[in-house]
Amino acid sequence: MSLSLSFCLYVTAALFAIGVYGVLSRQNLIVILMSLELMLNAVNLALVAFGRAFLPSAPPDANGPQIFVIIVLAVAAAEAAVGLSILLAVYRKWRTTNVGQIDMLKG
Amino acid sequence: MDAFVFYISGIISVAAAGLVVTRRNPVYSAIYLVLVFVMISLQFLVLRAPFLAVVQVLIYAGAIMVLFLFVIMLLNLTPEELKETVPRSRKYLAGGLSFVLFLLLVTAIRKSPTVRGAPNLVEPIPATEGTPALATVGEVTAIGESLFTTHALAFELTSVLILVAILGAIYLTKKRRPDAPGGITSPTGLETQEVLPETPGDVVVTGAEESRS
Repeated sequence: MSLSLSFCLYVTAALFAIGVYGVLSRQNLIVILMSLELMLNAVNLALVAFGRAFLPSAPPDANGPQIFVIIVLAVAAAEAAVGLSILLAVYRKWRTTNVGQIDMLKG
Repeated sequence: MDAFVFYISGIISVAAAGLVVTRRNPVYSAIYLVLVFVMISLQFLVLRAPFLAVVQVLIYAGAIMVLFLFVIMLLNLTPEELKETVPRSRKYLAGGLSFVLFLLLVTAIRKSPTVRGAPNLVEPIPATEGTPALATVGEVTAIGESLFTTHALAFELTSVLILVAILGAIYLTKKRRPDAPGGITSPTGLETQEVLPETPGDVVVTGAEESRS
């Protein structure tokens, strides 16, 4: 049984598109942040798949793609931390996590 | 066998991702998101990234999702607060737009000669005499060596980013007195009720610290 790069990228594209749908169609800030995590994961998977596919033709540093994924992971952790603390601050002020009701530039 | 694992986990991850964005209760979304992360970790294993597979479970399913679940439990939202008022037309628009994006990506993947010329991903890597490092790619030693030599600058910048994120998270979740200098005063007076404990800052620090390992 063989595994083509195309199939990996189809999975990646599907995960990313589902993440975009979540960001566009939901109003709950928690679920929107989860959709962002989903999109970051899709990109990670694509990076690893490309790294694996072109491994024999890789430059001396064959671990580059996976290092990239580790750094994306750290950025995702930072984004989740800051996003959730913004969520807490917003909830403290307006008692809601619904982005449809948070429509003022200055509280 | 490897390819079979990838096919099954790929299908499960896409299905679970669909459930993540459609559940009304964010607790169910979080649980399905953990399933997505575990499936992606299996795919990393098939794609010769064992270290990343472990890190994926540790950081995402462990640290980040616990952070999400902690915030969900902390807010303790009622069904009325979880109710969303998105019009059906906007949902169809969002679905159409993301489907168009998916079709665009699929078309790009199908047309790309680079992707079409890629080798089978589960066959063993041909032994080439010039590059002995290919055999150990993705293992902890190789990743660590690469991270602390070639990519040391990026690593250090990442640690600065995480430090800034910790400080930002602590600042944002800190209790403020209305009369303190620089404190935000609420015109409606709603801000005086403080039911949230100060623990989120600590949890944030834990989650961000672990991602550096």
